[in-house]
Amino acid sequence: MNQKKIKERVGLAALNVFFILLCFVTLIPILYALSVSFNGQNSLLSSDFSFIPKQFTLDNYRQVFLGEDIAAWFGNTVLLAASTVALSLSVAIPAAYCFSRRRFPGRRAILKCLVLLNSFPAILSMFAIYRLLRTFGLVNHRIGLILVYTGTMAVFSLWNTKGYFDTIPTEIEEAARIDGAGNLQVVTRIVLPLAKPSIVVTALMVLIYVWNEYIYATTLLTGEQNYTLAAGLYALQATEMSGSWPVFAAASITVSLPVLVIFFLCQKHMTSGLTAGGVKG
Amino acid sequence: MKKQEKTGAEKKRRKGIFYSYAWSAPSLLLIALMVVFPILYTGYISLTNMNVYHWFDFTIVGLDNYLRALFVFDSGFLSALLATIVWTVVNMVLQLVIAFVLASLLNIQKLRLRKLYKTLLMFPWAMPGYVSILLWKTGMFNTQFGLLNQWMEKLGMETARWLSSDLSAFICCTVVNLWLALPFMIMIMDGAMQSIDRSYEESALLDGANWLQRTRYITVPAIKPIIAPAVIITVFTTFKQFDVVYLLTQQTGAKTGSGFHTILTYAYENAFITNNYGYSSAISIIIFILLIVFSAKFQLREEGDL
Repeated sequence: MNQKKIKERVGLAALNVFFILLCFVTLIPILYALSVSFNGQNSLLSSDFSFIPKQFTLDNYRQVFLGEDIAAWFGNTVLLAASTVALSLSVAIPAAYCFSRRRFPGRRAILKCLVLLNSFPAILSMFAIYRLLRTFGLVNHRIGLILVYTGTMAVFSLWNTKGYFDTIPTEIEEAARIDGAGNLQVVTRIVLPLAKPSIVVTALMVLIYVWNEYIYATTLLTGEQNYTLAAGLYALQATEMSGSWPVFAAASITVSLPVLVIFFLCQKHMTSGLTAGGVKG
Repeated sequence: MKKQEKTGAEKKRRKGIFYSYAWSAPSLLLIALMVVFPILYTGYISLTNMNVYHWFDFTIVGLDNYLRALFVFDSGFLSALLATIVWTVVNMVLQLVIAFVLASLLNIQKLRLRKLYKTLLMFPWAMPGYVSILLWKTGMFNTQFGLLNQWMEKLGMETARWLSSDLSAFICCTVVNLWLALPFMIMIMDGAMQSIDRSYEESALLDGANWLQRTRYITVPAIKPIIAPAVIITVFTTFKQFDVVYLLTQQTGAKTGSGFHTILTYAYENAFITNNYGYSSAISIIIFILLIVFSAKFQLREEGDL
Protein backbone atom coordinates (compact mmCIF):
# COMPACT_ATOMS: atom_id res chain seq x y z
CA MET A 1 0.00 0.00 0.00
CA ASN A 2 2.63 2.46 1.10
CA GLN A 3 4.89 1.44 -1.69
CA LYS A 4 2.14 2.01 -4.19
CA LYS A 5 1.64 5.52 -2.86
CA ILE A 6 5.32 6.29 -3.15
CA LYS A 7 5.36 4.97 -6.66
CA GLU A 8 2.42 7.16 -7.55
CA ARG A 9 4.09 10.24 -6.07
CA VAL A 10 7.29 9.61 -7.94
CA GLY A 11 5.33 9.14 -11.14
CA LEU A 12 3.47 12.38 -10.61
CA ALA A 13 6.66 14.26 -9.83
CA ALA A 14 8.24 12.89 -12.99
CA LEU A 15 5.20 13.97 -14.95
CA ASN A 16 5.43 17.48 -13.56
CA VAL A 17 9.14 17.69 -14.32
CA PHE A 18 8.38 16.49 -17.83
CA PHE A 19 5.76 19.17 -18.40
CA ILE A 20 7.91 21.93 -16.92
CA LEU A 21 10.74 20.95 -19.24
CA LEU A 22 8.36 20.67 -22.18
CA CYS A 23 6.92 24.13 -21.55
CA PHE A 24 10.40 25.56 -21.29
CA VAL A 25 11.60 23.90 -24.48
CA THR A 26 8.46 25.02 -26.28
CA LEU A 27 8.92 28.61 -25.22
CA ILE A 28 12.65 28.81 -26.01
CA PRO A 29 12.27 30.75 -29.28
CA ILE A 30 10.00 33.29 -27.62
CA LEU A 31 12.10 33.53 -24.46
CA TYR A 32 15.25 33.97 -26.51
CA ALA A 33 13.69 36.80 -28.52
CA LEU A 34 12.42 38.37 -25.32
CA SER A 35 15.82 38.19 -23.70
CA VAL A 36 17.66 39.48 -26.77
CA SER A 37 15.22 42.37 -27.05
CA PHE A 38 16.06 43.52 -23.52
CA ASN A 39 19.75 42.86 -23.79
CA GLY A 40 22.52 45.38 -24.37
CA GLN A 41 23.86 44.87 -27.88
CA ASN A 42 27.37 43.83 -27.00
CA SER A 43 26.78 40.58 -25.24
CA LEU A 44 24.81 39.24 -28.18
CA LEU A 45 27.51 37.17 -29.79
CA SER A 46 29.26 36.12 -26.66
CA SER A 47 29.00 32.42 -26.16
CA ASP A 48 27.93 32.55 -22.51
CA PHE A 49 24.41 33.51 -23.40
CA SER A 50 21.68 33.26 -20.79
CA PHE A 51 17.93 33.69 -20.88
CA ILE A 52 18.10 36.50 -18.36
CA PRO A 53 19.53 39.63 -19.95
CA LYS A 54 22.81 40.67 -18.35
CA GLN A 55 22.63 44.31 -19.22
CA PHE A 56 19.00 45.19 -19.07
CA THR A 57 18.12 47.89 -21.56
CA LEU A 58 15.07 49.31 -23.29
CA ASP A 59 17.20 50.71 -26.10
CA ASN A 60 15.96 48.21 -28.65
CA TYR A 61 12.35 49.09 -27.93
CA ARG A 62 13.19 52.78 -28.07
CA GLN A 63 14.75 52.18 -31.45
CA VAL A 64 11.70 50.29 -32.61
CA PHE A 65 9.38 53.13 -31.72
CA LEU A 66 11.59 56.00 -32.81
CA GLY A 67 13.83 54.63 -35.52
CA GLU A 68 11.39 52.57 -37.51
CA ASP A 69 8.06 53.60 -38.93
CA ILE A 70 6.33 51.35 -36.47
CA ALA A 71 3.89 53.99 -35.22
CA ALA A 72 2.78 54.60 -38.80
CA TRP A 73 2.57 50.84 -39.42
CA PHE A 74 0.51 50.40 -36.31
CA GLY A 75 -1.87 53.15 -37.44
CA ASN A 76 -2.15 51.62 -40.91
CA THR A 77 -2.82 48.18 -39.48
CA VAL A 78 -5.51 49.39 -37.10
CA LEU A 79 -7.21 51.38 -39.85
CA LEU A 80 -7.01 48.49 -42.29
CA ALA A 81 -8.11 45.88 -39.76
CA ALA A 82 -11.02 47.97 -38.48
CA SER A 83 -12.29 48.74 -41.98
CA THR A 84 -11.93 45.13 -43.09
CA VAL A 85 -13.75 43.81 -40.03
CA ALA A 86 -16.54 46.40 -40.43
CA LEU A 87 -16.95 45.67 -44.13
CA SER A 88 -16.72 41.91 -43.64
CA LEU A 89 -19.43 41.85 -41.01
CA SER A 90 -21.72 44.23 -42.85
CA VAL A 91 -21.65 42.14 -46.03
CA ALA A 92 -21.56 38.74 -44.33
CA ILE A 93 -24.38 39.13 -41.81
CA PRO A 94 -27.24 39.95 -44.22
CA ALA A 95 -26.05 37.29 -46.65
CA ALA A 96 -25.65 34.71 -43.90
CA TYR A 97 -29.12 35.51 -42.59
CA CYS A 98 -30.68 35.03 -46.04
CA PHE A 99 -28.81 31.78 -46.60
CA SER A 100 -29.81 30.51 -43.18
CA ARG A 101 -33.47 31.51 -43.11
CA ARG A 102 -34.77 31.89 -46.61
CA ARG A 103 -35.15 29.21 -49.22
CA PHE A 104 -34.48 30.32 -52.76
CA PRO A 105 -33.32 28.65 -55.96
CA GLY A 106 -29.55 28.38 -56.15
CA ARG A 107 -29.09 28.48 -52.39
CA ARG A 108 -27.66 25.01 -51.89
CA ALA A 109 -25.63 25.17 -55.07
CA ILE A 110 -24.04 28.48 -54.04
CA LEU A 111 -23.25 27.24 -50.54
CA LYS A 112 -21.56 24.09 -51.87
CA CYS A 113 -19.72 26.03 -54.55
CA LEU A 114 -18.37 28.48 -52.01
CA VAL A 115 -16.73 25.71 -50.02
CA LEU A 116 -15.07 24.30 -53.09
CA LEU A 117 -13.95 27.70 -54.39
CA ASN A 118 -12.51 28.53 -51.02
CA SER A 119 -10.04 25.67 -51.34
CA PHE A 120 -8.15 27.70 -53.94
CA PRO A 121 -5.18 28.99 -51.95
CA ALA A 122 -5.39 32.77 -51.67
CA ILE A 123 -1.72 33.13 -52.44
CA LEU A 124 -2.23 31.71 -55.93
CA SER A 125 -4.79 34.41 -56.65
CA MET A 126 -2.27 37.16 -56.18
CA PHE A 127 -1.29 37.65 -59.79
CA ALA A 128 -4.91 37.83 -60.98
CA ILE A 129 -5.86 40.15 -58.13
CA TYR A 130 -2.93 42.40 -58.91
CA ARG A 131 -4.11 42.71 -62.49
CA LEU A 132 -7.69 43.31 -61.36
CA LEU A 133 -6.72 46.04 -58.93
CA ARG A 134 -4.44 47.67 -61.47
CA THR A 135 -7.35 47.91 -63.90
CA PHE A 136 -9.30 49.85 -61.30
CA GLY A 137 -6.30 51.89 -60.19
CA LEU A 138 -6.42 50.40 -56.70
CA VAL A 139 -2.86 49.12 -56.45
CA ASN A 140 -1.03 50.85 -53.63
CA HIS A 141 -4.36 52.02 -52.31
CA ARG A 142 -5.82 51.01 -48.96
CA ILE A 143 -9.25 50.41 -50.45
CA GLY A 144 -7.76 47.80 -52.75
CA LEU A 145 -6.26 45.90 -49.87
CA ILE A 146 -9.44 46.16 -47.81
CA LEU A 147 -11.43 44.69 -50.70
CA VAL A 148 -8.90 41.88 -51.15
CA TYR A 149 -8.91 40.98 -47.45
CA THR A 150 -12.70 41.16 -47.20
CA GLY A 151 -13.10 39.05 -50.32
CA THR A 152 -10.58 36.48 -49.11
CA MET A 153 -12.34 36.13 -45.76
CA ALA A 154 -15.87 36.50 -47.17
CA VAL A 155 -16.55 32.78 -47.61
CA PHE A 156 -15.34 32.04 -44.08
CA SER A 157 -17.40 34.91 -42.62
CA LEU A 158 -20.51 33.86 -44.50
CA TRP A 159 -20.25 30.18 -43.53
CA ASN A 160 -19.30 30.83 -39.93
CA THR A 161 -22.16 33.24 -39.21
CA LYS A 162 -24.63 31.19 -41.26
CA GLY A 163 -23.72 28.08 -39.28
CA TYR A 164 -24.50 29.87 -36.05
CA PHE A 165 -27.74 31.41 -37.36
CA ASP A 166 -28.85 27.87 -38.20
CA THR A 167 -28.64 26.95 -34.52
CA ILE A 168 -30.96 29.77 -33.42
CA PRO A 169 -34.52 28.40 -33.31
CA THR A 170 -36.89 30.16 -35.73
CA GLU A 171 -39.68 30.06 -33.13
CA ILE A 172 -38.11 33.00 -31.34
CA GLU A 173 -38.29 35.05 -34.49
CA GLU A 174 -41.84 33.95 -35.25
CA ALA A 175 -42.93 34.99 -31.78
CA ALA A 176 -41.38 38.39 -32.31
CA ARG A 177 -43.12 38.73 -35.66
CA ILE A 178 -46.47 37.93 -34.06
CA ASP A 179 -45.73 40.68 -31.59
CA GLY A 180 -45.46 43.00 -34.58
CA ALA A 181 -41.74 43.20 -35.17
CA GLY A 182 -40.64 43.93 -38.73
CA ASN A 183 -37.84 42.18 -40.59
CA LEU A 184 -35.23 44.69 -39.59
CA GLN A 185 -36.29 44.62 -35.96
CA VAL A 186 -36.21 40.84 -35.86
CA VAL A 187 -32.64 40.83 -37.11
CA THR A 188 -31.25 43.70 -35.07
CA ARG A 189 -33.12 43.06 -31.83
CA ILE A 190 -33.35 39.27 -31.73
CA VAL A 191 -30.96 37.50 -34.08
CA LEU A 192 -27.85 39.63 -33.73
CA PRO A 193 -27.76 39.64 -29.93
CA LEU A 194 -28.23 35.88 -29.93
CA ALA A 195 -25.53 35.37 -32.57
CA LYS A 196 -23.01 37.53 -30.72
CA PRO A 197 -20.51 34.71 -30.01
CA SER A 198 -20.16 33.77 -33.65
CA ILE A 199 -20.00 37.40 -34.73
CA VAL A 200 -17.23 38.03 -32.22
CA VAL A 201 -15.30 34.98 -33.43
CA THR A 202 -15.75 35.96 -37.08
CA ALA A 203 -14.59 39.49 -36.37
CA LEU A 204 -11.57 38.16 -34.46
CA MET A 205 -10.56 35.78 -37.20
CA VAL A 206 -10.75 38.57 -39.78
CA LEU A 207 -8.83 40.88 -37.47
CA ILE A 208 -6.08 38.34 -36.86
CA TYR A 209 -5.91 37.52 -40.55
CA VAL A 210 -5.37 41.17 -41.47
CA TRP A 211 -2.94 41.63 -38.59
CA ASN A 212 -0.79 38.72 -39.76
CA GLU A 213 -0.99 39.01 -43.54
CA TYR A 214 2.29 40.06 -45.09
CA ILE A 215 2.44 38.74 -48.69
CA TYR A 216 -0.43 40.80 -50.13
CA ALA A 217 0.54 43.79 -48.02
CA THR A 218 4.12 43.84 -49.29
CA THR A 219 3.04 43.20 -52.87
CA LEU A 220 0.17 45.66 -53.12
CA LEU A 221 1.62 48.49 -51.05
CA THR A 222 4.77 50.39 -51.83
CA GLY A 223 6.59 52.86 -49.65
CA GLU A 224 7.53 51.72 -46.18
CA GLN A 225 5.39 54.36 -44.46
CA ASN A 226 2.28 52.75 -45.99
CA TYR A 227 3.08 49.28 -44.67
CA THR A 228 1.14 47.33 -42.12
CA LEU A 229 2.90 45.90 -39.08
CA ALA A 230 3.21 42.50 -40.72
CA ALA A 231 4.57 43.94 -43.94
CA GLY A 232 6.91 46.24 -42.06
CA LEU A 233 8.26 43.49 -39.86
CA TYR A 234 8.75 41.27 -42.89
CA ALA A 235 10.62 44.05 -44.67
CA LEU A 236 12.64 44.77 -41.55
CA GLN A 237 13.95 41.22 -41.33
CA ALA A 238 14.47 40.94 -45.09
CA THR A 239 16.51 44.10 -45.54
CA GLU A 240 18.51 44.99 -42.48
CA MET A 241 18.45 41.75 -40.60
CA SER A 242 22.11 41.24 -40.02
CA GLY A 243 22.62 44.46 -38.11
CA SER A 244 19.48 44.55 -36.08
CA TRP A 245 18.44 41.20 -34.69
CA PRO A 246 17.83 42.73 -31.25
CA VAL A 247 15.68 45.47 -32.78
CA PHE A 248 13.86 42.87 -34.84
CA ALA A 249 13.28 40.80 -31.70
CA ALA A 250 11.89 43.86 -29.92
CA ALA A 251 9.66 44.65 -32.89
CA SER A 252 8.42 41.04 -32.99
CA ILE A 253 7.48 41.12 -29.35
CA THR A 254 5.76 44.48 -29.77
CA VAL A 255 3.74 43.29 -32.76
CA SER A 256 2.77 40.02 -31.10
CA LEU A 257 1.58 41.49 -27.82
CA PRO A 258 -1.86 42.73 -28.98
CA VAL A 259 -2.53 39.39 -30.69
CA LEU A 260 -1.48 37.47 -27.57
CA VAL A 261 -3.75 39.60 -25.39
CA ILE A 262 -6.71 39.13 -27.72
CA PHE A 263 -6.05 35.42 -28.01
CA PHE A 264 -5.90 34.72 -24.30
CA LEU A 265 -8.87 36.97 -23.56
CA CYS A 266 -11.00 35.13 -26.08
CA GLN A 267 -9.47 31.68 -25.83
CA LYS A 268 -12.70 29.97 -24.82
CA HIS A 269 -14.69 31.58 -27.63
CA MET A 270 -11.95 30.79 -30.10
CA THR A 271 -11.90 27.07 -29.62
CA SER A 272 -15.64 26.59 -29.37
CA GLY A 273 -16.41 29.03 -32.16
CA LEU A 274 -13.94 27.44 -34.50
CA THR A 275 -14.59 23.81 -33.80
CA ALA A 276 -18.36 24.32 -33.97
CA GLY A 277 -18.06 25.77 -37.45
CA GLY A 278 -15.37 23.32 -38.37
CA VAL A 279 -13.21 26.10 -39.80
CA LYS A 280 -9.70 27.02 -38.78
CA GLY A 281 -8.28 30.37 -39.77
CA MET B 1 -49.59 21.95 -58.61
CA LYS B 2 -47.38 24.98 -58.59
CA LYS B 3 -49.32 26.33 -61.53
CA GLN B 4 -52.43 26.43 -59.42
CA GLU B 5 -50.85 28.75 -56.92
CA LYS B 6 -52.40 32.14 -56.86
CA THR B 7 -50.48 34.88 -58.59
CA GLY B 8 -50.32 36.73 -55.29
CA ALA B 9 -48.37 33.93 -53.67
CA GLU B 10 -46.17 33.66 -56.74
CA LYS B 11 -45.48 37.38 -56.60
CA LYS B 12 -44.56 37.14 -52.96
CA ARG B 13 -42.26 34.23 -53.65
CA ARG B 14 -40.51 36.16 -56.40
CA LYS B 15 -40.16 39.13 -54.14
CA GLY B 16 -38.65 36.86 -51.50
CA ILE B 17 -36.11 35.49 -53.96
CA PHE B 18 -35.27 38.98 -55.12
CA TYR B 19 -34.71 40.18 -51.57
CA SER B 20 -32.58 37.14 -50.70
CA TYR B 21 -30.29 37.85 -53.60
CA ALA B 22 -30.29 41.58 -53.01
CA TRP B 23 -29.19 41.17 -49.40
CA SER B 24 -26.56 38.59 -50.34
CA ALA B 25 -25.33 40.59 -53.31
CA PRO B 26 -22.51 42.58 -51.65
CA SER B 27 -21.00 39.44 -50.16
CA LEU B 28 -21.43 37.39 -53.33
CA LEU B 29 -20.04 40.23 -55.44
CA LEU B 30 -16.89 40.45 -53.35
CA ILE B 31 -16.48 36.69 -53.52
CA ALA B 32 -16.97 36.84 -57.28
CA LEU B 33 -14.28 39.49 -57.61
CA MET B 34 -11.68 38.20 -55.18
CA VAL B 35 -12.22 34.43 -55.29
CA VAL B 36 -14.01 33.44 -58.49
CA PHE B 37 -12.43 35.89 -60.91
CA PRO B 38 -8.83 34.97 -59.92
CA ILE B 39 -9.59 31.29 -60.49
CA LEU B 40 -11.09 31.94 -63.92
CA TYR B 41 -8.30 34.31 -64.86
CA THR B 42 -5.68 31.82 -63.68
CA GLY B 43 -7.41 29.17 -65.76
CA TYR B 44 -7.19 31.42 -68.79
CA ILE B 45 -3.55 32.37 -68.24
CA SER B 46 -2.69 28.70 -67.75
CA LEU B 47 -3.50 28.17 -71.41
CA THR B 48 -1.12 30.89 -72.58
CA ASN B 49 2.62 31.30 -72.76
CA MET B 50 2.66 34.46 -70.64
CA ASN B 51 6.10 34.92 -69.16
CA VAL B 52 8.80 37.51 -68.87
CA TYR B 53 9.46 37.43 -72.62
CA HIS B 54 5.80 37.46 -73.61
CA TRP B 55 4.44 39.99 -71.22
CA PHE B 56 1.84 41.59 -73.49
CA ASP B 57 2.06 39.55 -76.66
CA PHE B 58 1.30 36.20 -75.08
CA THR B 59 -0.60 33.67 -77.15
CA ILE B 60 -2.78 30.68 -76.42
CA VAL B 61 -0.67 27.54 -76.30
CA GLY B 62 -3.36 25.09 -75.26
CA LEU B 63 -2.42 22.49 -72.69
CA ASP B 64 1.36 22.84 -73.11
CA ASN B 65 1.87 24.14 -69.57
CA TYR B 66 -0.09 21.26 -68.11
CA LEU B 67 1.83 18.72 -70.15
CA ARG B 68 5.09 20.27 -69.02
CA ALA B 69 4.07 20.13 -65.36
CA LEU B 70 2.74 16.59 -65.44
CA PHE B 71 4.92 14.78 -67.95
CA VAL B 72 8.29 16.50 -67.98
CA PHE B 73 9.95 14.89 -65.03
CA ASP B 74 12.61 17.48 -64.40
CA SER B 75 10.10 20.35 -64.50
CA GLY B 76 10.14 20.20 -60.72
CA PHE B 77 6.40 20.01 -60.23
CA LEU B 78 6.20 16.29 -59.69
CA SER B 79 9.04 16.29 -57.19
CA ALA B 80 7.43 19.24 -55.37
CA LEU B 81 4.15 17.33 -55.31
CA LEU B 82 5.88 14.25 -53.96
CA ALA B 83 7.70 16.33 -51.35
CA THR B 84 4.39 17.92 -50.35
CA ILE B 85 2.76 14.52 -49.91
CA VAL B 86 5.68 13.27 -47.82
CA TRP B 87 5.58 16.53 -45.87
CA THR B 88 1.85 16.18 -45.18
CA VAL B 89 2.10 12.54 -44.13
CA VAL B 90 5.14 13.06 -41.87
CA ASN B 91 3.62 16.13 -40.25
CA MET B 92 0.21 14.60 -39.70
CA VAL B 93 1.54 11.36 -38.24
CA LEU B 94 3.89 13.17 -35.86
CA GLN B 95 1.23 15.69 -34.97
CA LEU B 96 -1.41 13.10 -34.17
CA VAL B 97 0.93 10.87 -32.17
CA ILE B 98 2.55 13.66 -30.15
CA ALA B 99 -0.74 15.46 -29.56
CA PHE B 100 -2.35 12.21 -28.45
CA VAL B 101 0.41 11.39 -25.99
CA LEU B 102 0.53 14.91 -24.56
CA ALA B 103 -3.25 15.18 -24.28
CA SER B 104 -3.36 11.79 -22.53
CA LEU B 105 -0.70 12.94 -20.08
CA LEU B 106 -2.54 16.20 -19.49
CA ASN B 107 -5.61 14.18 -18.65
CA ILE B 108 -3.98 12.18 -15.88
CA GLN B 109 -6.30 12.94 -13.01
CA LYS B 110 -3.90 13.99 -10.32
CA LEU B 111 -2.03 16.51 -12.42
CA ARG B 112 -2.86 19.72 -10.56
CA LEU B 113 -0.96 22.25 -12.65
CA ARG B 114 -2.73 21.14 -15.83
CA LYS B 115 -4.16 24.60 -16.52
CA LEU B 116 -0.81 26.33 -16.26
CA TYR B 117 0.84 23.83 -18.60
CA LYS B 118 -1.98 24.15 -21.09
CA THR B 119 -1.77 27.94 -21.10
CA LEU B 120 1.98 27.89 -21.62
CA LEU B 121 1.70 25.32 -24.38
CA MET B 122 -0.86 27.51 -26.16
CA PHE B 123 1.67 30.28 -26.80
CA PRO B 124 2.90 29.00 -30.19
CA TRP B 125 -0.69 29.03 -31.38
CA ALA B 126 -1.38 32.49 -30.01
CA MET B 127 1.68 34.15 -31.52
CA PRO B 128 1.26 35.54 -35.03
CA GLY B 129 2.48 32.71 -37.25
CA TYR B 130 4.84 34.67 -39.43
CA VAL B 131 6.48 36.28 -36.39
CA SER B 132 7.14 32.86 -34.87
CA ILE B 133 8.59 31.54 -38.10
CA LEU B 134 10.90 34.53 -38.44
CA LEU B 135 11.95 34.18 -34.81
CA TRP B 136 12.78 30.54 -35.44
CA LYS B 137 14.69 31.48 -38.54
CA THR B 138 16.94 34.00 -36.81
CA GLY B 139 16.69 32.93 -33.22
CA MET B 140 17.28 29.23 -33.71
CA PHE B 141 18.57 28.38 -37.18
CA ASN B 142 20.63 31.46 -38.09
CA THR B 143 24.28 30.54 -38.48
CA GLN B 144 25.44 33.51 -36.38
CA PHE B 145 22.75 34.42 -33.86
CA GLY B 146 20.97 31.09 -33.83
CA LEU B 147 20.81 29.30 -30.52
CA LEU B 148 21.39 25.93 -32.17
CA ASN B 149 24.81 26.95 -33.39
CA GLN B 150 25.64 28.68 -30.11
CA TRP B 151 24.89 25.42 -28.32
CA MET B 152 26.85 23.42 -30.85
CA GLU B 153 29.83 25.68 -30.29
CA LYS B 154 29.54 25.31 -26.56
CA LEU B 155 29.47 21.56 -26.88
CA GLY B 156 32.56 21.75 -29.07
CA MET B 157 30.77 20.54 -32.16
CA GLU B 158 30.92 21.99 -35.59
CA THR B 159 28.33 24.62 -36.41
CA ALA B 160 25.93 23.86 -39.20
CA ARG B 161 24.02 25.73 -41.85
CA TRP B 162 20.69 24.32 -40.84
CA LEU B 163 18.53 25.53 -43.69
CA SER B 164 20.87 25.03 -46.60
CA SER B 165 20.46 21.39 -47.54
CA ASP B 166 17.23 19.74 -48.61
CA LEU B 167 16.95 17.18 -45.86
CA SER B 168 17.91 19.39 -42.96
CA ALA B 169 15.64 22.16 -44.29
CA PHE B 170 12.82 19.63 -44.44
CA ILE B 171 13.47 18.62 -40.84
CA CYS B 172 13.70 22.24 -39.67
CA CYS B 173 10.46 23.12 -41.45
CA THR B 174 8.79 20.09 -39.89
CA VAL B 175 9.95 21.08 -36.42
CA VAL B 176 8.61 24.62 -36.87
CA ASN B 177 5.36 23.40 -38.37
CA LEU B 178 4.84 20.99 -35.48
CA TRP B 179 5.62 23.75 -33.04
CA LEU B 180 2.99 25.92 -34.68
CA ALA B 181 0.32 23.29 -35.18
CA LEU B 182 0.56 21.09 -32.09
CA PRO B 183 -1.21 23.43 -29.64
CA PHE B 184 -4.39 23.39 -31.70
CA MET B 185 -4.27 19.61 -32.03
CA ILE B 186 -3.56 19.15 -28.31
CA MET B 187 -6.52 21.37 -27.46
CA ILE B 188 -8.83 19.42 -29.76
CA MET B 189 -7.68 16.04 -28.43
CA ASP B 190 -7.79 17.25 -24.84
CA GLY B 191 -11.34 18.50 -25.30
CA ALA B 192 -12.36 15.23 -26.92
CA MET B 193 -10.80 13.15 -24.14
CA GLN B 194 -12.57 15.15 -21.48
CA SER B 195 -15.87 14.30 -23.10
CA ILE B 196 -15.29 10.56 -22.67
CA ASP B 197 -17.52 9.05 -20.04
CA ARG B 198 -15.27 8.10 -17.10
CA SER B 199 -17.29 4.99 -16.34
CA TYR B 200 -16.04 3.20 -19.48
CA GLU B 201 -12.49 3.67 -18.38
CA GLU B 202 -13.23 2.60 -14.83
CA SER B 203 -14.97 -0.59 -15.85
CA ALA B 204 -12.14 -1.37 -18.25
CA LEU B 205 -9.71 -0.86 -15.37
CA LEU B 206 -11.75 -3.24 -13.25
CA ASP B 207 -11.61 -5.78 -16.03
CA GLY B 208 -7.84 -5.49 -15.93
CA ALA B 209 -7.32 -3.76 -19.27
CA ASN B 210 -3.86 -2.24 -19.59
CA TRP B 211 -3.08 1.23 -20.93
CA LEU B 212 -2.58 0.05 -24.49
CA GLN B 213 -5.86 -1.82 -24.52
CA ARG B 214 -7.76 1.06 -23.00
CA THR B 215 -6.25 3.41 -25.58
CA ARG B 216 -7.05 1.12 -28.44
CA TYR B 217 -10.56 0.10 -27.51
CA ILE B 218 -11.87 3.09 -25.57
CA THR B 219 -9.98 6.35 -26.05
CA VAL B 220 -9.27 6.21 -29.77
CA PRO B 221 -12.75 5.10 -30.90
CA ALA B 222 -14.33 7.65 -28.55
CA ILE B 223 -12.35 10.68 -29.71
CA LYS B 224 -12.20 9.74 -33.38
CA PRO B 225 -15.53 11.25 -34.50
CA ILE B 226 -14.95 14.37 -32.38
CA ILE B 227 -11.51 15.18 -33.73
CA ALA B 228 -12.20 14.11 -37.33
CA PRO B 229 -13.23 17.54 -38.68
CA ALA B 230 -10.25 19.26 -37.06
CA VAL B 231 -7.88 16.59 -38.38
CA ILE B 232 -9.23 16.91 -41.91
CA ILE B 233 -8.86 20.68 -41.79
CA THR B 234 -5.30 20.30 -40.53
CA VAL B 235 -4.48 17.90 -43.36
CA PHE B 236 -5.53 20.63 -45.77
CA THR B 237 -3.64 23.42 -44.02
CA THR B 238 -0.53 21.22 -43.92
CA PHE B 239 -0.84 20.34 -47.58
CA LYS B 240 -1.33 24.02 -48.40
CA GLN B 241 1.47 25.16 -46.11
CA PHE B 242 3.28 28.13 -47.54
CA ASP B 243 4.52 30.40 -44.77
CA VAL B 244 6.78 27.95 -42.98
CA VAL B 245 8.68 26.83 -46.05
CA TYR B 246 8.72 30.21 -47.75
CA LEU B 247 9.80 32.26 -44.75
CA LEU B 248 12.40 29.79 -43.54
CA THR B 249 14.11 28.89 -46.79
CA GLN B 250 12.67 30.47 -49.93
CA GLN B 251 12.37 34.16 -49.16
CA THR B 252 12.88 36.40 -52.16
CA GLY B 253 16.47 37.54 -52.09
CA ALA B 254 17.33 35.43 -49.07
CA LYS B 255 17.22 31.87 -50.29
CA THR B 256 19.11 29.49 -48.10
CA GLY B 257 19.98 27.09 -50.88
CA SER B 258 17.58 24.35 -49.93
CA GLY B 259 15.65 22.80 -52.78
CA PHE B 260 12.74 21.69 -50.62
CA HIS B 261 9.54 23.05 -52.12
CA THR B 262 5.91 22.44 -51.36
CA ILE B 263 3.66 22.84 -54.37
CA LEU B 264 2.60 26.27 -53.15
CA THR B 265 6.10 27.68 -52.81
CA TYR B 266 6.88 26.08 -56.16
CA ALA B 267 3.93 27.83 -57.81
CA TYR B 268 4.85 31.09 -56.10
CA GLU B 269 8.42 30.89 -57.25
CA ASN B 270 7.39 30.26 -60.84
CA ALA B 271 5.04 33.21 -60.81
CA PHE B 272 6.98 35.85 -58.93
CA ILE B 273 10.64 34.89 -59.14
CA THR B 274 11.05 33.41 -62.60
CA ASN B 275 7.88 35.15 -63.89
CA ASN B 276 6.63 32.07 -65.68
CA TYR B 277 2.98 33.07 -65.31
CA GLY B 278 1.48 30.63 -67.78
CA TYR B 279 3.25 27.65 -66.24
CA SER B 280 2.60 28.79 -62.69
CA SER B 281 -1.10 29.25 -63.47
CA ALA B 282 -1.30 25.71 -64.82
CA ILE B 283 0.22 24.46 -61.55
CA SER B 284 -2.28 26.54 -59.58
CA ILE B 285 -5.15 24.95 -61.46
CA ILE B 286 -3.72 21.45 -60.90
CA ILE B 287 -3.41 22.19 -57.18
CA PHE B 288 -6.98 23.48 -57.18
CA ILE B 289 -8.29 20.33 -58.85
CA LEU B 290 -6.37 18.14 -56.38
CA LEU B 291 -7.82 20.05 -53.43
CA ILE B 292 -11.35 19.85 -54.83
CA VAL B 293 -11.05 16.12 -55.36
CA PHE B 294 -9.78 15.66 -51.79
CA SER B 295 -12.44 17.81 -50.22
CA ALA B 296 -15.22 16.25 -52.28
CA LYS B 297 -14.05 12.85 -51.04
CA PHE B 298 -14.00 13.95 -47.42
CA GLN B 299 -17.39 15.62 -47.70
CA LEU B 300 -18.96 12.53 -49.20
CA ARG B 301 -17.59 10.45 -46.39
CA GLU B 302 -18.87 12.90 -43.81
CA GLU B 303 -22.33 12.94 -45.32
CA GLY B 304 -22.23 9.15 -45.46
CA ASP B 305 -21.53 9.09 -41.75
CA LEU B 306 -24.58 11.17 -40.93
